[in-house]
Amino acid sequence: MNERTGKAVSDQSNVGLHRLAVVLSVLTVALLVAGALVTSNEAGDSVPDWPLSFGRWLINSNSFVANVRYEYSHRFIAGIVGATTLLLAVWTLFSERRRWMRSLALCAFAGVVAQAAIGGLRVRFPEYKALIAVPHALVAQSFFAVIVAMAVFTSRKWLLPRSTGPDNANLPLRRLVSITVAAVLIQLVLGAGFRHQAFGIVPHIIGAIAVTVMIALTVFAVWRRHKQEEYLIRPARLAASLLVVQLGLGIAAYFARLASKSDPQPLEPMISLTVTHLVVGALTLATMVVLALRCHQVLIPARRESAGAVSAAGLRSSGAAV
Amino acid sequence: MLRKIGTVCVMLTLAMLLIAVGCGKKHPSTSEDKSEAGSKPAYASKGDEGTITGKVGFDGASPVSKKIDMSQDANCASSSGDKMTDDTQVADGKLANVFVYLKGGPVDSHSFPTPSDAVTLDQQGCRYHPRVIGIQVNQTFRVTNSDNTTHNIHPSPKRNEEWNQMQAQGAPPIEKKFGRPETLIPVKCNQHPWMKANIGVLAHPYFTVSAKDGTYTIKNVPPGSYTLVFWHETLGEQTQQVTVAAKESKTQDITYKSGSTPAATSMQIGPTLVLP
Repeated sequence: MNERTGKAVSDQSNVGLHRLAVVLSVLTVALLVAGALVTSNEAGDSVPDWPLSFGRWLINSNSFVANVRYEYSHRFIAGIVGATTLLLAVWTLFSERRRWMRSLALCAFAGVVAQAAIGGLRVRFPEYKALIAVPHALVAQSFFAVIVAMAVFTSRKWLLPRSTGPDNANLPLRRLVSITVAAVLIQLVLGAGFRHQAFGIVPHIIGAIAVTVMIALTVFAVWRRHKQEEYLIRPARLAASLLVVQLGLGIAAYFARLASKSDPQPLEPMISLTVTHLVVGALTLATMVVLALRCHQVLIPARRESAGAVSAAGLRSSGAAV
Repeated sequence: MLRKIGTVCVMLTLAMLLIAVGCGKKHPSTSEDKSEAGSKPAYASKGDEGTITGKVGFDGASPVSKKIDMSQDANCASSSGDKMTDDTQVADGKLANVFVYLKGGPVDSHSFPTPSDAVTLDQQGCRYHPRVIGIQVNQTFRVTNSDNTTHNIHPSPKRNEEWNQMQAQGAPPIEKKFGRPETLIPVKCNQHPWMKANIGVLAHPYFTVSAKDGTYTIKNVPPGSYTLVFWHETLGEQTQQVTVAAKESKTQDITYKSGSTPAATSMQIGPTLVLP
């Protein structure tokens, strides 16, 4: 068994930084909701200038009507997320001992800046909206994943002493879960491409099948190999639940969009279904990221294990089938 | 400490990059003269032009109009005027808002002078008036706002330059030009997503839009053989071949059938599944 000491935990634990990362994760979900509302309400071009809105940073209440409400709220929340990311990055730089955490914080800040720039390009070049909206979605989801990862890395749970075990199946869980995270991210981008009419529904449907298979395989592998390990089972169980909800939402959202084709404007339930579909997709990604990080934390690659770097006791001793 | 300060500097550089994007000059929104008619001979009238007239009929049950929910903007909700959809306007079996124009023959092999008067699209009651409009290449396109609210006008052309401009209540008219022929350019207000219009841009003046009683007339047509194109926003395009003799008045009626649709999109799942 390979365990870190309690002293190391208290040394590395930074409750304030962790709380800020959690707050930023929640704010990012709010930003994703706001962005989804912009798309679902076709409000992307309702404020034609950027970075100002109608020539101002704060618009007056008379202008805050109709679709401007969605676009301006999106910009406002994005500003808050940007400022919070800056705070998180600076705090991490000056308080974190782990060098890679400082790099991650810098990545998060670079991501939020890039995302704002892509959003600006989207407004200023409406003729390329499909082309620009897809990377906007990619960076949004990637940024969310990074912030969730930072929240995980700064959590006390992550820093607590953990049993480690071998990952020596034919298809190692670390590799499987990493591929699944990538598949979920690609699927979110395919969904964005469909939403922004960069391409049709077929790639998104193929992606949905692939992601369903990958998540099912991952969850099954976790359940089969580490049934007693709540640390891994919990996110796996949540991912499975989110997948079921997401599939239902996806089908419902698609048919709601079909039914709304002759509507004079975006209406309910199409708006709520498409927005919820996007958000549950993001939460699925976050859950898979958490599972992937935990797998990488507590599972030791077969090569290292066979080299005798660690004892194979760990999870195996807790009764899990490997 | 120096390393950390350096990192903060990198972050500031990224922020500057963001500002640079924000301050980057947007491409000019006015279309330049890119008319393709420059090399064609100017049309010289011989006084023997004819007329094409007709009616656009609609066969089948009239589409049911839906009520537009304007509650998201109190100024729109309280405005006078119709609040029902009008994308397919049928009255007594006749179809309005069909853009009718000539293609081929002498109208495509000659150039025609650009009219000096502007074509106006007004925003009133949070609707575009008219819904379908025709204009010549480089003719002035004027947009006015008669509403007590802010609109933005956003044509999405494929061959012309796209622009998206805000127009507050009481603001002076916006004037633009389209430099290339294009049928048809969808126009939308991104603040009020139910506001939609279509602009047909042609290099010649032989176009019109069917009236509420389905009638249309294209006057002063140079003698020749043409394709007469009928375009409707939701019902799609139909064509007829027509030959106009000198001083002839030709009648060309056409009927759209209920359920005829424009080209399929990836979203359609009807009796048959249509995928991209």
